[in-house]
Amino acid sequence: MKTTEEILTLAREIAGAWDWTTEVTQPEPNRLDVLLRNPADLVAIVTALRVKRLGYLAAITGLDLGAGELEALYHFCAGEVVITLRVRLNGRETAVASLSELIPSAEPFERELREMYGVNIIGLPSPDYLYLPDDWPAGVYPMRQDFDPQVLSRKT
Amino acid sequence: MILSEKGWQTVFDRIKTWARVNSPWVIHFNSGSCNGCDIEILATITPRYDLERFGVKLQGSPRHADILLCTGPVTRQARERLLRVYEQMPEPKFVVAIGSCALSGGAFHDCYNTMGGVDQVIPVDAYIPGCPPRPEAIIDGVVKLLQKLQQGEKAEVGDQKPGELS
Amino acid sequence: MQTDTQRERFTIPIGPQHPALKEPGHFRFSVDGEIVTGATVRLGYAHRGLEKLAEKQNWVQNIYLFERVCGICSHTHATAYCLGVERLAGVIAPPRAQAIRTLVCELERIHSHLLWLGVSAHEAGFDTLFMYSWRDRETVMDLLEALTGNRVNYSVNVLGGVKVDVTEEIAQAIYKGLDFLEERTHHYLQVVSSDASFLQRARGVGVMTRQQAEVMGVVGPTARASGVTRDIRIEAPYAAYADFPPQVIVDERGDLEARFVVRLKELLESYRLVREILARLPEGELTVRMPRRIKSGETVSRVEAPRGELFYFLKSNGTDTPVRVHARTPTICNMTSVVRLAVGHQLADVPLILAGIDPCFSCNDR
Repeated sequence: MKTTEEILTLAREIAGAWDWTTEVTQPEPNRLDVLLRNPADLVAIVTALRVKRLGYLAAITGLDLGAGELEALYHFCAGEVVITLRVRLNGRETAVASLSELIPSAEPFERELREMYGVNIIGLPSPDYLYLPDDWPAGVYPMRQDFDPQVLSRKT
Repeated sequence: MILSEKGWQTVFDRIKTWARVNSPWVIHFNSGSCNGCDIEILATITPRYDLERFGVKLQGSPRHADILLCTGPVTRQARERLLRVYEQMPEPKFVVAIGSCALSGGAFHDCYNTMGGVDQVIPVDAYIPGCPPRPEAIIDGVVKLLQKLQQGEKAEVGDQKPGELS
Repeated sequence: MQTDTQRERFTIPIGPQHPALKEPGHFRFSVDGEIVTGATVRLGYAHRGLEKLAEKQNWVQNIYLFERVCGICSHTHATAYCLGVERLAGVIAPPRAQAIRTLVCELERIHSHLLWLGVSAHEAGFDTLFMYSWRDRETVMDLLEALTGNRVNYSVNVLGGVKVDVTEEIAQAIYKGLDFLEERTHHYLQVVSSDASFLQRARGVGVMTRQQAEVMGVVGPTARASGVTRDIRIEAPYAAYADFPPQVIVDERGDLEARFVVRLKELLESYRLVREILARLPEGELTVRMPRRIKSGETVSRVEAPRGELFYFLKSNGTDTPVRVHARTPTICNMTSVVRLAVGHQLADVPLILAGIDPCFSCNDR
């Protein structure tokens, strides 16, 4: 088993291969944030993490930064280290590739991201809702900041 | 002695009420609760509390059940299913709402995906408050409902033909 | 006339209301005769939208809310949330508070595992074990009630510490209760590894190899029953687990029997931990002062729930309400494994395979 320092160094090395488009910060001693300016890099970096057997995908968090900007946070855990790949997405045009080919357990997380934030995830097998009700209005994303619950009462 | 038609009716009604009160079969439906109430319902049928001493039997199919024990604030996705379970139950049927969120939405009152209580969707006969209610409270609620059935048989149950009772 | 109709596949829908599932989840199994050939799951029957509501309420109100993500592991959720908020605020709860949190975590694990033992035994058609284990579970429920005042949602945590204290009287009651439970657990361990009819339902059924477990990303006892040594209590100790380290229970076999054995052995480990915490409970304050506004920042809080790793992500912007609270619960990780493991098994084995991961749909859906 690797120590915390070893994991952090290794993760920095991996992220360093994309140093033109990434920005690595360490907000807490056990956390490493890698900001991906280019969403297309995601699959390559995740593959590199998998090759080095560095951590497992623990969760995908969506964030609405306001002004139509979304952020998807891919948390990889190894020991006490949490490596977070942050992908910035501008509005609904931007899409991100699905990780479910690489990591089967990513599928429910990605479906949650798609339903709650309306992130377009390319290559996700099932188009159905996993969490939201069947009669949920299309194009309404509850976790976005501009979500208005009035939309729901108007329908019924 | 020969009983009149009305007399026979009264005897039948008494037998029906006696049977209903002494062996009510219940079905449990979770409409999106946090499981707290559900494990307490399960605890009431296990040896410490033993709801079965009142003849209450937990039943799998709504078509065999007399009483619906419903927990949870009723989520939008569970709403249709709760209605369907209720419609499948034979008349006369009774609904017991268990837990704060089944009563009013409770902690989930402001959530976008909840209806805010079982009585927003189907008529409720007994309310058991608590988050979650203790098993003793659940037993008390069910027994109160049974008492109501026994006392109210003439006014509420006995004078109606099957199918009239909502 | 066609003769190939027997090759026709049927789809069997199960849930949301089903006698085998106490919670609402909808499964569709396509079957060829008795054998499952495919499975899909539809969640969302218990989706309430807690994470959105959390953005409207302040940090203190949210403790109450996140305890109600799940009624079975409510304390674990509150602990993860409180530890995260305390880290954001730069506050550390006093040692006695941390030890009491850990104590209640372990008592909750005992109650959850005994509950699971009963429910899974019920799915296996072994109702005697169900009734016995739930009778014994009342012992730990009494202890939790004596300690916290509640049977289910304990409300032990506050931001910056705990509400309840362990008195000598309660400690003695816990020792006594644990002695009884330990004796019973040894008995159950013997039952699940020797009862012939039970073994026919559990041994060699739902086998998940270590490699499969790693690929599917399962967590908690389900992963440990497949030989994956992953336990947040040891990997990233929180609360007082650094002072009271548990032993990881691992089983290499990966079948349902292994999941029973792992959880029962974890019970024995929890009894040991609770006794140790009670014996070396640090003295001191129960709470420290917390600011009403939490410093802006982001943090991750991970704890080991009875079902596996619980992951909280918190973001604050310096006000008294959070910007985002994200809870990733263990069941969502394990649910993928059910859908995959069910394929190739008889339909009758599916409820037990599902129960084997100890699913919690309300955790899942939030």
